[in-house]
Amino acid sequence: MSKRYARFLTAVFCLFLGGLMVWQFLLPDRERSDVENRTLQQRPVLTLSGVLDGSYMEDVESYVQDQFPLRDQWTGLKARTEQLIGKRLFNNIYLCEGETLIYKVDEPADGLEETNLHYVTQLAGNTDIPVYLGLIPSAAEVWRDKLPEGAASWDQNAYLQQAADTGLPMIDFSAALTAHASEAIFYRTDHHWTSLGAFYGANALLEALGREPLKEEDFTPETASTDFNGTLYSQSGIHWLTPDTMEYWVEEDGLTVTSWRTGSPEPGQLYDRSYLAQKDKYSSFLGGNQPLCVIRNENARDGGKLLLIRDSYSDSLAPFLAQSFEEVHLLDLRYFRMPPAQYAAENGIDEICVVYSVPNFITDRNLVFLAQ
Amino acid sequence: MVFSSLTFLFLYLPLTLLAYFLSPLKWRNCILLLVSLLFYGWGEPVYIVIMFVSIGIDYTHGLLVEKYRSNDKKARWFVAQSVIFNLALLFFFKYGTFFAENLYALTGILIPKSVELLGVTIPLWGVPLPIGISFYTFQTMSYTIDVYRKDAPVQRNMVEFGTFVTMFPQLIAGPIVQYKTVAADLRHRVHTSENFALGARRFCVGLAKKVLLANSIGALWEDCLAAQGAGTLTVLGGWLGLAAYGFQIYFDFSGYSDMAIGMGRMLGFRFLENFDHPYCADSVGAFWRRWHMSLTDWFRDYLYIPLGGNRGGTARTIRNLIIVWFCTGFWHGASWNFVLWGLYFAAWLILERYVLRSVLEKTPKVLKHVYTLIVVFVGWGLFAMVDLSVCGDYLATCFGGGPLWSAADGFRLRSYAVTLVALVLASTSLGQRLWARLPRRTEALFTPVLMGLSLVVCTAYLVDGSYNPFLYFRF
Repeated sequence: MSKRYARFLTAVFCLFLGGLMVWQFLLPDRERSDVENRTLQQRPVLTLSGVLDGSYMEDVESYVQDQFPLRDQWTGLKARTEQLIGKRLFNNIYLCEGETLIYKVDEPADGLEETNLHYVTQLAGNTDIPVYLGLIPSAAEVWRDKLPEGAASWDQNAYLQQAADTGLPMIDFSAALTAHASEAIFYRTDHHWTSLGAFYGANALLEALGREPLKEEDFTPETASTDFNGTLYSQSGIHWLTPDTMEYWVEEDGLTVTSWRTGSPEPGQLYDRSYLAQKDKYSSFLGGNQPLCVIRNENARDGGKLLLIRDSYSDSLAPFLAQSFEEVHLLDLRYFRMPPAQYAAENGIDEICVVYSVPNFITDRNLVFLAQ
Repeated sequence: MVFSSLTFLFLYLPLTLLAYFLSPLKWRNCILLLVSLLFYGWGEPVYIVIMFVSIGIDYTHGLLVEKYRSNDKKARWFVAQSVIFNLALLFFFKYGTFFAENLYALTGILIPKSVELLGVTIPLWGVPLPIGISFYTFQTMSYTIDVYRKDAPVQRNMVEFGTFVTMFPQLIAGPIVQYKTVAADLRHRVHTSENFALGARRFCVGLAKKVLLANSIGALWEDCLAAQGAGTLTVLGGWLGLAAYGFQIYFDFSGYSDMAIGMGRMLGFRFLENFDHPYCADSVGAFWRRWHMSLTDWFRDYLYIPLGGNRGGTARTIRNLIIVWFCTGFWHGASWNFVLWGLYFAAWLILERYVLRSVLEKTPKVLKHVYTLIVVFVGWGLFAMVDLSVCGDYLATCFGGGPLWSAADGFRLRSYAVTLVALVLASTSLGQRLWARLPRRTEALFTPVLMGLSLVVCTAYLVDGSYNPFLYFRF
């Protein structure tokens, strides 16, 4: 090896490592990452106590990771490389035919799926108000034929059967979605259902409660965004698909939304359009997660008060239900700690629906509060 | 801090190299000692104290052995002291919990986790494992023994000795560098651009092995293990999983050794090789002469031969093999499955020595390779699954206790086809031989391109960072 060539190789190595180090040092720190939906670690301050308990070193490691130059592009490069060598599973998300990303549902390991069913039956036993259970199968089940050949995902249909065996009155989201599986009922880059999917879901719920279904021709969908890159986009690192289109079906006129974000009632919005300018566009439905939210419709077709024990799927579902119900209450067990049976009794609720997507229902540790 | 982390690659290593090469020659050992202590204290700063105590004791004992060389009894006593100290250190941190728990399970006697003495809480067991303790206690133990055996010169400079013990390239995951192999380099080493370039090239190879191959195939093993838990594992899936684990641990560990050897070279040190295409071995004995060679050599030189080796007749040889392999297994982790794994190899080595030798001599080469691989990969099953009942069920599936294959195996094979081909090629010497046959100009062109590509793609994988556990941290 000639001296010149050795120096050249040395330079390649040192410039890459040193160059990125200097680049990172000069680059202004970013506050948060929209793609990852979290705040980023800022430059840590050196303190003696921080060094002794090791927190300073941990912060430095997070800092280097979080503020690494071109962070999102590196992730994209990794996903591209993996695709090139035949991978179809990216951070637990399948890349499927038709530019579709589908979240893989893993076999539950802790028995939570059975315990949570038990909590719902306990709620039904604690109150005289009828309690319905509605479990929404995720795209991995409804769109199973879109998964790569042989790709595994936990059998949600078998679980829905198990849920039906509890004897609780069920809302059959599975049949409603499966009947329309060829349509765009889930987003391709996000794990939620689309407004179309939520519309079919709403009719399944109304049918279970013995009410007339809504008619598709009564709605004129408004295109809210054609540039929606959802959670699956972020988690998979696959950034080269066409973004999703998001629609608002229900008109805001005549609906009053009240949000309890801070413990006291404040006027809310059916669609918080400020989210459309951000990454997390799905949160524009009712403005995203909150302890309690009530939608009132004085001109409701059928009347009555409905309590939804919610996850985020309900945010796009509730506007449809407000066409039929005078009041729709959305209660989030993660943040709202009054016993649901008590809340229902105090607010004159006519029917309680526990509505969750299956992946959330089998992993959520807050359903225990149903049993209070 | 592991080598395959962004902090190491884009903060620690550039700054360390800068400080090292900017300082005058006579300061370089001192710089190396300081940055190594920083590296060691990064994860658990308190444990730097153990490092200082360890350096102090072994340094002093080396001097004492040298001083009392004429009085053999005294010299032996100091060697014994050093060995006892190192083993006690290892025992307390690594095996304390194992013994306390097994004692309780067997006899019901519960040793308290800590005792109060004069107002100070002294922990008795359950303390977190200091990284690399298995490696550096072995290194320093062999130093005193070598000084006694006159295999190594005594080290009178404490900084140089400290540099040897703490040297960051090999500190936490080996290879186990014996003092005698670097004694000369410590005092005087040559820093040339050629050494640096060769070291950098070696480092890139190791990084790619660890990040692109080992981490990637590790996910397949996790997948197969999960399938066992869910009751959907097949015979094909079972063997696929064992192969995946075998590849993962080989590329993880040898990649780490490559990075260590590479960085040593950049700094002017020559470490001995640690792996020599172990999966090309044609017998279990040959496998162990090619796998983690610095450990096999250590046990041979400092345990097997002192026990009498194979010179005391059949019964003694068998006894010695069992002792050595019990220790080798136990060194890998404080858990019964590692003991079983060691004894499993003892059984095969004894079998090969006394029964299979004549059979193997007449066996075609291909079958010998297949036999070796099956023994080794089943061994990995014992190694990987700490819970022996899970391990038993898994291996039962491999040997016919399940359907032959399923659609999920098809998905696995398609997803990992390219990776598996790369792993097989990289496990043999084929790649190296082809590389050696390249015309010099082509090689000169390929080297920087591949180095750059390896750095870029590894960075992408590390930034993505979803899957970067380091297997050898437990040891």
